[in-house]
Amino acid sequence: MAPKSSSSFTFTKPSSQSASSSLSALLSAYTTQTTPRLKFIDAFLVFLLSSGVLQFVYCVLVTNFPFNAFLAGFSSTVGQFVLTASLRQQVNPENKVEFKEVSHERAFADFVLGSIVLHFFVYNFLG
Amino acid sequence: MRTRSQSSFSFSCSLFTLLLVTIATLVHTSSAGKSASSTGDSVLVILEPAKKAEYSIFLNGLEDKGYTVTIRAPKEEQPLLIEAGLPNFSHVVLLASDTKNFAKDISPQSLVQLLSLGTNLVLTLGLKQNLLTSLAPEFSLLLPPPATPLVSYFPERSDPPSIIPIDVSSQSIPNDTFSVLSSQVTGKVWFSGTAFALNSNPLLFPILHAPLESFAADLSDASGRVSDALADASEKGGEGLWAGSSLSVVAGFQTLIGGGTGHGADAGLGEDNQARAVWVGGSSLFSDEFAKKKVVEKVQQERGMKVVENPSGNTQAASEIAGWAFQERGVLRIDEVTHHKVNQTEPLEMYTNNDEIVYTIRISSFNPSTRKWEPYSGLKDLQLEFTMLDPHVRIALPPVSGKSGVYSTTFRAPDRHGVFKFVISYKRKGFTHLIHTLSIPVVPPRHDGYPRFLSAAWPYYAGAISTSVGFLVFCAIYIAGEAKEEKEKRSKKE
Amino acid sequence: MSTAYPLPTNISPTTVANTASLLRIVAFGLISGAAIASRLFAVINFESIIHEFDPWFNYRATRVLAAKGFYEFWNWFDPTAWYPLGRVVGGTVYPGLMATSGVIYNFLHYFNLPVDIRNICVLLAPGFSALTAWATYMFTAEMKDPSAGLLAAAFIGIVPGYISRSVAGSYDNEAIAIFLLMFTFYLWIKALKLGSALFGTLAAVFYFYMVAAWGGYAFITNMIPVHALVLLLMGRFSGRLYVAYCSWYAIGTLSSMQVPFVGFQPVRTSEHMGALGVFGLLQIVAFASLVRSHVSSKQFQNLLAISVVTMGVLGAGAFVVMTYKGWIAPWTGRFYSLWDTGYAKKYIPIIASVSEHQPTAWPSFFMDLQLLIFLFPAGVIMCFRELRDEHVFVIIYAVVASYFAGVMVRLMLTLTPVVCVSAAVALSTLLDTYVEAKEPDVPEERMEANGSSAPDGKKTKKAGGAVGSQASTTAVAAASSAISDFVSATRSSASTPRQKGIWGADTRLVILLNAIGMLVFFVFHCTWVTSNAYSSPSVVLASTNPDGSQHIIDDYREAYYWLRMNTPQDAVVMSWWDYGYQIAGMADRVTLVDNNTWNNTHIATVGKAMSSPEEVAYPILRKHDVDYVLVIFGGLLGYSGDDINKFLWMVRIAQGVWPDEIQEPNYFTPQGEYRVDDRASEAMKTSLMYKMSYYRFSELYGGGNAVDRVRNQQIPKVGPTLDYLEEAFTTENWIVRIYKVRKEDTLGRDLKTANAFAQGKKKKRSKPVSRRRAIV
Repeated sequence: MAPKSSSSFTFTKPSSQSASSSLSALLSAYTTQTTPRLKFIDAFLVFLLSSGVLQFVYCVLVTNFPFNAFLAGFSSTVGQFVLTASLRQQVNPENKVEFKEVSHERAFADFVLGSIVLHFFVYNFLG
Repeated sequence: MRTRSQSSFSFSCSLFTLLLVTIATLVHTSSAGKSASSTGDSVLVILEPAKKAEYSIFLNGLEDKGYTVTIRAPKEEQPLLIEAGLPNFSHVVLLASDTKNFAKDISPQSLVQLLSLGTNLVLTLGLKQNLLTSLAPEFSLLLPPPATPLVSYFPERSDPPSIIPIDVSSQSIPNDTFSVLSSQVTGKVWFSGTAFALNSNPLLFPILHAPLESFAADLSDASGRVSDALADASEKGGEGLWAGSSLSVVAGFQTLIGGGTGHGADAGLGEDNQARAVWVGGSSLFSDEFAKKKVVEKVQQERGMKVVENPSGNTQAASEIAGWAFQERGVLRIDEVTHHKVNQTEPLEMYTNNDEIVYTIRISSFNPSTRKWEPYSGLKDLQLEFTMLDPHVRIALPPVSGKSGVYSTTFRAPDRHGVFKFVISYKRKGFTHLIHTLSIPVVPPRHDGYPRFLSAAWPYYAGAISTSVGFLVFCAIYIAGEAKEEKEKRSKKE
Repeated sequence: MSTAYPLPTNISPTTVANTASLLRIVAFGLISGAAIASRLFAVINFESIIHEFDPWFNYRATRVLAAKGFYEFWNWFDPTAWYPLGRVVGGTVYPGLMATSGVIYNFLHYFNLPVDIRNICVLLAPGFSALTAWATYMFTAEMKDPSAGLLAAAFIGIVPGYISRSVAGSYDNEAIAIFLLMFTFYLWIKALKLGSALFGTLAAVFYFYMVAAWGGYAFITNMIPVHALVLLLMGRFSGRLYVAYCSWYAIGTLSSMQVPFVGFQPVRTSEHMGALGVFGLLQIVAFASLVRSHVSSKQFQNLLAISVVTMGVLGAGAFVVMTYKGWIAPWTGRFYSLWDTGYAKKYIPIIASVSEHQPTAWPSFFMDLQLLIFLFPAGVIMCFRELRDEHVFVIIYAVVASYFAGVMVRLMLTLTPVVCVSAAVALSTLLDTYVEAKEPDVPEERMEANGSSAPDGKKTKKAGGAVGSQASTTAVAAASSAISDFVSATRSSASTPRQKGIWGADTRLVILLNAIGMLVFFVFHCTWVTSNAYSSPSVVLASTNPDGSQHIIDDYREAYYWLRMNTPQDAVVMSWWDYGYQIAGMADRVTLVDNNTWNNTHIATVGKAMSSPEEVAYPILRKHDVDYVLVIFGGLLGYSGDDINKFLWMVRIAQGVWPDEIQEPNYFTPQGEYRVDDRASEAMKTSLMYKMSYYRFSELYGGGNAVDRVRNQQIPKVGPTLDYLEEAFTTENWIVRIYKVRKEDTLGRDLKTANAFAQGKKKKRSKPVSRRRAIV
């Protein structure tokens, strides 16, 4: 899970000086360069991420007994995360060159469809 | 899904049906119940017609019990024992013990075949070698060398030493063995003939032992000496001298079901029958002479010894020996087998792992006096096995109090799927073997048979649901945002 | 602009486009027709019957599904297989095939078309072959253009390598799996090209279907990640790749776990870990690129270094923990045997004993693919020349599949599609070059001289878009790698300023006629191979009479029918596992082992019974309630696929479990020969298999020499005797022999003694003791 590493930046000792400065640069760049829409998507991503981490921690620390339930719950967050991340990629104005054939509306429709399929499988697998 | 409930591999699904089949097809004389036997009425006695009078008490006794007795001379060709693969008689008694040569169709092989076709045999040995000499080893009997009758000098009596009174009441019978000679055999039983030793064979058991003081001897030897032949034979056989109560003079043999290759509907005729054979050391046990012969005994009384003449027990003993052989007594059958889950009544086609199963069996025994099958609760050591390759469950099957003839138990199916069998295999000496197998698949729980909505999983449920809700909220806001943007765009344009 | 032949100028571009698409549709229709028709040889030559072994199980399962519905099928526990263990069928099959037929069956019945389920099963594979042709068309069209697509569709439609698994009656998972394979790949390429989550989702859905249909889905599971990884390494990471891969993986993996037989494998076994790893990697790379877009490169490098260290520590830790906890299962045996061809023989004889797991013999490449095998490398080289993302895919696919096809015969099937695709690309390039009317602007006189050949050229041009159509119906021809070199030379030179090209129609004609001739030969080859080699149901054998007419040998069905009619419903039949499915399907009797070789010990038990002497085998037979034993014997007819030839595998498998009791060397003569004549080893002669095979065989020849025509050895005149079994049935040509297991003796003797007694042989211990007078 890539973004997880972002939280660990602050704890890494080597080159903490440059790291913290890079980090602050990154943050400021992020706040200025990102459109509100993308920020909103990012908020959703963070929510999914935390939900996934919580479930994973519960699984490792407490029980993974209904393994299918864990997989369903966990994959629903992961799947939703990557789908949303895909959406973010597609609607990001910076990537416009890459996704010539995917309009914003199309991207959102894809996202919705993919999510519905995903949730169908999740609920099928949950019980 | 197909059950295998009708199946059973050493098929005796219920002896009842088998017996019906036997009676209906094998026996051309009329219905059951005419005679005291549970398997049929027709008896063939192989005997020189000239000697018929010597056995009149025994033969008349048979007819009194309802049997139709046919006499056939040993060398006569008719009537055949087996015709077109079917036995002609339900019971065969071979009294011509001293005959050397028999008609073609009376051979050791045909006698064994008769047994596997369900015909009961009473075989009497003579002092000379004949076909029975070569047949005996097949039954795990060990015969002494020819012409060595059983001899006993005790108790002191006027008769020759080879005519021996045997005390029935002193015979010890193991608990689980059916006592063929009942307490009705009062007097001592006269015996004259060969005694034999029994090899270890679970199907063979002694009915009447030789007296403790008796031994096999060649009477032509000088008195008090044991012939070399006997000594050699005993050395070779490795069972000590031919003497004492380890020898038997009457032995019973209960055949196994089988003999053929089939099972169930596949079985050949008579292949599902159990037959009985009785080996008697001498035919004279059945004779009128011994039946009438008094037993002279000295009874110790307060004022010294007194000579008492008692009637012999031969008539009764002969009748009971033949009665056991003809399956009058010690005959059991399984009437019905049912199984179901606890708290249910209907049998299932298959059980699920860890189901509690109730298994019930009804057993009856044949009563020769009423000539009816009656429920029988007397079995104390019946066991049920639940088997797949090996028994997974082995449990006592006790009689249910208050319901005669019903045995029942409850057990839990193993946590293992596969085709299991309920196996009843009750083999006790002197009783009909009770064998019953019933296949039943034990299957894993259905995919919806596992517990659902476990409390341990609620974080996952919550996670999945929150994701879905989040997704919906996200979509709503996103679309709203889009609409707003568009408005803004439009307003900008305007 | 000069042309080699005059082109009509008065046609509008729309008319051209419309005509081309019409021609494409017609061509595609013809291709489908050819694909279906060429698979019907089996039905015409024999009858509408299910073939071979596994299809019989699939057919039986489908009948259950059609009769009882999907829900019951899911819960189906089959007590008649693997007696007495039973088989949880619902959880141990790939239900895709049965579900497909079930859906078709219900669909037809909904419209009151009472089609027999058997006919659906028989014709499913040909039907899906048409769909495969379509999927291949789409896939190839993505690679190059629709005309190459048509060519590829035509190739896949008739190529023997695919027909071998999809003739009518070959009702096996592969029948639908190749379609799903190609279509999933197509969707993946499409998703990758567009960066569309929709196609990624669709790819995942078809991946799910594939998982439900065939164990070979692992091929997709690893192909797509490898492709993604290679693209990453080539520095071709893009948002499109992220979108396509992640949507495919997230949904595909979750959905694949819905199949009961697959269960949690996608997160537990090593085979699936690659896909997971690439998934994780993509997240990192995507995040990194996001970060990079926001910060300067200097800072980015800083961040990168730190995050790489952290991720490395985290990843290694996670892997150690997972392995330590045993969450990740090690590779399976079948997988190892892909890398080390000797592995299976050493450790898992069951896998090695299957003929389709043997390494491929080189002639079968030519047999199955003919000229395509020569065009194949040319097509791969073509891919290198453009090297778009999808071309990388074809290249990887080609390399991987070639290796696997060399290792295992059955994996030839996965190679075939990529061979068709690249061959089509190569051939289509060739045709494009030579049909192209444009000539380099040089000598004009040449052009005039060739004006006469214009009609021919025109004709060819008309067929132009429809090269495929010719290819499809007649099908296609040839070029060696030499030609491909030539083609690439011409192509590449075309881009240089020095104009090079082909002048005149005659040169074109020579090449084109050659190519078409090769294609025609290819068609003849395919037809011949299909009708002769791949259309035998193997349930029914055919031989040729001296007068050339066909003689049908129907021993298998004779025997199975005998079993069905003459034995009780619950009779247990023991045979080597090859025939388990057929016995269950055709005779409807209980079997001990079958082609679903899930329990090695049970198979070894049967192997032990077969390779032991009678008295050792008898308790085993009784314990398993065996009523009948069935053996296949080809010695009379010269049918080499019989049990004596498979016997060594039985011995080996039994030895694997009971090394003390069964030893392979005992079944060879001291000289190390495998013999069945009077020099056969003692273990061989007393084994149940030998006895059952040759029981009363020499009697058939009267006093003459009894010769086993498979092994060309003379059988001893005094044949083996059987005490514990008795012959129940032998078919017309002695191919199937059925023995009945005898029950215990009535008197409790062992059957050998009882038999000796019944035959009147004196018993040793009943020897009468001679009577001697005592010496006084």
